[in-house]
Formats: sequence, structure tokens, C-alpha cells
Amino acid sequence: MEVSLQVRDAAECRATLAEAFAWERSAKLRPYLDSIAPRLTHLPVSRIASGTEFCEHLIPHSIRAIRDACDKPFTLLTPYVGDRGLEKLRCLFAELRDGDEVVFNDWGVLNLLRREFPGLVPVQGRLMTKSLRDPRVMGIYGDSSTPAGASANATLRVLQGSNLDNAAYTAMLGNIGVALAEIDGLPQGNALESALALAAYLPFGFVATARVCQAAGLGYAKTEKFQPASPCRHECQTFLAEHTYTNSPFENRDQVFWLKGNTYFFTHPAHLIDSLLEAARAGRIHRLNIQPRVPMLEVS
Amino acid sequence: MKILAPIRELDELEMLAQAGAEELYCGYVPRAWVERYQGAVWLNRRSTRGSSVETLENMRALADAAHARALPVFVTLNAPYYTAEQTALVLDLAERLSGECGVDAFIVTDINLIVRLSELKLAAATHVSSVAASLNVEAVRFLLNFDVSRVILPRSLTLAEIESIKRGVGGDCEIEVFLLNDGCAFEEGFCATTHHHSVGAFCTSLSGMRTDFEWAGGYFSSRRQAWLRRNLEDYREWVWYLNGNGCGSTAKGLPYGPCALCAVPDLARIGVDSLKIVGREASPFKKLASVKMAADIVHRVRHGVPKPVAIDRAISLRGEPEHCHAGYMCYYQVDRDC
Repeated sequence: MEVSLQVRDAAECRATLAEAFAWERSAKLRPYLDSIAPRLTHLPVSRIASGTEFCEHLIPHSIRAIRDACDKPFTLLTPYVGDRGLEKLRCLFAELRDGDEVVFNDWGVLNLLRREFPGLVPVQGRLMTKSLRDPRVMGIYGDSSTPAGASANATLRVLQGSNLDNAAYTAMLGNIGVALAEIDGLPQGNALESALALAAYLPFGFVATARVCQAAGLGYAKTEKFQPASPCRHECQTFLAEHTYTNSPFENRDQVFWLKGNTYFFTHPAHLIDSLLEAARAGRIHRLNIQPRVPMLEVS
Repeated sequence: MKILAPIRELDELEMLAQAGAEELYCGYVPRAWVERYQGAVWLNRRSTRGSSVETLENMRALADAAHARALPVFVTLNAPYYTAEQTALVLDLAERLSGECGVDAFIVTDINLIVRLSELKLAAATHVSSVAASLNVEAVRFLLNFDVSRVILPRSLTLAEIESIKRGVGGDCEIEVFLLNDGCAFEEGFCATTHHHSVGAFCTSLSGMRTDFEWAGGYFSSRRQAWLRRNLEDYREWVWYLNGNGCGSTAKGLPYGPCALCAVPDLARIGVDSLKIVGREASPFKKLASVKMAADIVHRVRHGVPKPVAIDRAISLRGEPEHCHAGYMCYYQVDRDC
């Protein structure tokens, strides 16, 4: 089992997971992180990841300092982008070394990698691994004690699956050099059969992400807010919003969603972390991608 | 630049064609799908009941009648993904819709399905759905490897970004953009939630949730808290506009909701090929009113009406200028003077 740790500066590259789980300063998240950390902190870090999966405004100007400080295999995370974001990424790719991984969450990024940077290793990001991840309702499908869960085997198989279920698709990816795909732990459970090796993120799963950023709205007059791709001052780094599903039609009115910048996340319950760990030990998951902070980091 | 209208059944064809529709798209959900999959597993991003054509006979009749009026018909096969079992069903469906019904194109999101359709060499073309999140020219170039004839650009692109992509792909494929009705708060292809009626859309559901903020550093003053609260209220108002102004209508009964009528002169200059009206599931009246508004502006632009005049006409058509001036009802920001 490989264990990847996401860092935001060069100094963090040599951290252990025990040290890394102290990085998140949110008082709201600390109890959760403290409760799950013992399940993970004994794992040795074998790979370093940095960058951003969700926002082209958080693409760093340079990754060189982190890359130079990293004495382990390295993965650069990249988001979905417009043409301008693609140009920023082209500059970053030039700083990487042959054999470094690039996680793509955009077909355009993959196309650029294949054409101009064949020495870099493309990895399908979790945004490209399509599954429903809606904790408002998906947990019910995975619960055989509910009517919906008990009567819907075909439906459940679809919801636990993803586009990776198709051999033709994974063969196509294989033919263009993609051997690893990233996934989220799903509230309804994961089908882990795939021709590609899998890497699972924890403990934050993504729910939805946008080019329109609620946080960036703080910097604009009302009529100018919420325009796609508008410049920002990284207001996402200043606050965290906690949405509690108090209006649920079901019993999960304590379900929480975390908004950081342009992306909503859910935290993995302990049983989901345990199942991902067990799958990793059994060889069904090749890599665990540990993100001990909400993964909307400003890289420095 | 064509006007692409949604349609649910043959009965709607005559009125849409007369109003100015130049292309049509619809869903198709066979009984076998409804019987096999429940709840949130949708074939085409709409509820399996009441939003789509339900038999091949009805689809054939619709396609024949549309073709008699020289209108092409596109069918949505645009779920974010299909598993292997579903892919077999959908490919069989595609062969029958193309071969037996003569539909002109499929609107597809799943890259696996796009690849498989390119291998089948059906008569029907492949259009890439906005849900595929083709946000840059490199993404479109990647998709062109798989014999696609049109790419529908996401709503989250600016006019400048649309122009950059159109310039980059030239005549290699058609470009379609959104014109009227319904928005998405999130990037459509990267929203992993369901709109199932039991929970509704995640973006609108959020407006009813309890929200607490945490400041990342320093003292979280009451002023800062009020600033964040105000921004959240503005965001909820923006989502209300995206949701068709709370699914409302004007005093004259015209539909509300996200709109790019003012952008038609720019979209024509850029060379966009098709303008999409959203709402397969909408009432016939909403579809009709939407096509009429679209045709009014598109025809004026085709006849060379100056941009400011077209914009004034568009605002007048929407009927309630305060919503146009709110800044939240526009798909694209338009510079009136250039």
C-alpha cells in the first residue's frame, strides 16, 4: 500500500502523518480529525502530493521549491481549467521531472500532458471518476435495512460503481498512459473492481465544485458577485462554512457539508475510513491519498 | 446560428416550429430502464417519468414529423456515467434510435459512451454534453479524437472564453451554448449530487440548511460575521435566480430564469453554431414562450440590428427590467458598448 500526503510548502515534505494531522487549525474540524487520526497516523508516508484539484485560482506560480525539497515520489494535483489556467499549468509542468505524476481533472490537461510532456505520468483525478457522492441520500441506498436499500440491487450496483466499471474505458485510458485512477470513498459503498489501480482520498470527499465561488463574492459589490472565473484574493483561505442538513426529509439532519471556497466536502465517517483501509491492506486500493486539511490549500 | 428547443412529445412540434425552433432535442427512456433502475439512477439527467419520450414508435413519429419540417432531432444520453451493464443497454438503444427512428444526434456526457459510439459508426452524430465540462480548447481537441460533431460549452464560460475556444477549434466542430432557462450553481460536470425529488437540487437545498462560519485567523468580529452572512444571503439570491427565479413567471406568464438574450449579438459575432433553450420537462407554454423570445432576438440580430438595440429589446422582452439589472440572471456578462 502506498500512502500519499498532500503538503502546501517545502517544509511539510518530511512530515509524518502524526505531525500532519495537527496541521488543520479549524476548531470545528479538530474533534473529527482527532477522532480519526489514530486510524491513520501509523502509516508511513511514501509519496508527496501538492497543488489543487478544485480551483484554477489556487494554481501556484511555481512548484519548484516543494519539488526540490521532496525526497519521495511526487504528484502534482491539477484542477479543471479555462484556457488561462491551462497556460499556468504548462509553466508548472515544465518544472517537474520525468516520472512525476500529474493528476488531471480536465480532458484538456490530459491532452496537453500527452502532447507536450510525455515524460510525466497522468493520473485520472477523482473529479473524472464519476459517481454520485450525495451524502444527503446516498447512504440510504447502501443501507439494506431501509426499503430503498433492500429492493434496489441493480440501482445500488450502479451507485456503488463508476465510469471505471467499463473495460473499454479503462483500456482506452491504459492506451494513453493512464494506469491509476483516483476515487472518493462513497456514502453508499464503493465497487472497487477496476482494470486500473485505484487511489482513494481521505478523510474529505468532494460533493460539488464550481467556477463560481461563493467566497470570492466577498470581494465584490452585490451586482458584480458570482461571475464565472472572476479574479479573487483567495478569500477561500479566510473562512470555513459548516452547513448542517437540518432540512433533511430523512433522519440524517446532523449530516454536515463543509464549504471552502468553491467546493463542498463531506467528511468520511470512521466506518468508511476503516473500509478503505481494509481494501488497501487487501490490495484492492493501491494508494491512500491523505489530506489532513480541507483540500483547498494555497501552496507557498 | 440555430435555435435549439426542447421537446417532450409530438404534440409540441407544430407550435415550436412555428415559433422559430430550428433544432429539437428530447429525452427517451424505455420501460425497461424504468423497471430496472430506481430513484436517483436516471438515463438522461431528468426524472425517468414525464420528461421524455417513452416508446420507439413515438420517437419515430416525432423524428419523421420534425424531418418533414427540416428540423433535426437530438436525443439526450447524457448521464454523467453508465456502468458496463448500463452501457450495453444504452448502446443498444442508440442503435435503434439511429437506425429505426432516424434521430440525428445523441447528446452524450460519458467519455466511454462517446468512444463506443465512435466505434459503432452510426448514422446519428455525437454531440458532447455540457456536463462533460469542456472548459478549454485542449479539452475540445481531445474530444475531437472521437468523431464528435458538436460540443456544448458549459454555462460557466465567459464570452471571452467561448470566443477563445471557437477560435481554437475553427471549423473542426460546431459549438453550442446556453441561451435560456435554468442555471447550475456548480460546474455541472463536477456536481456529484442528485436532483431526485426526495431531496431536490443540492444548491437549492443548501439555502434551507443551518450555516455556521469559522474565521481562519484572528478575531472573528461581529462585523466580519455580518459580512459573511450578507454574502451568503446574496449567494442564496443568486441561486434563486438560477432556479428560474424560484420557478416563477412574470405577470404576463412568461418564464423567468437565466438568460443570454443580450449576448446574442456577441455569440453571433463569435460564430457560435447553436443556442440551447433548457427545459425538456417544462410546460408547453414555457417552451413556446422561450422559443418566441429567442426567435425575436435572433432574427433581429440576423437582420443586422445594432447591439444596443438588441439588448434593449431583450430587456423589454423579459418584462421586468429590475431582474435583468440585478446582475444574477445573465449567463454571460455583456459589454453593451463594444
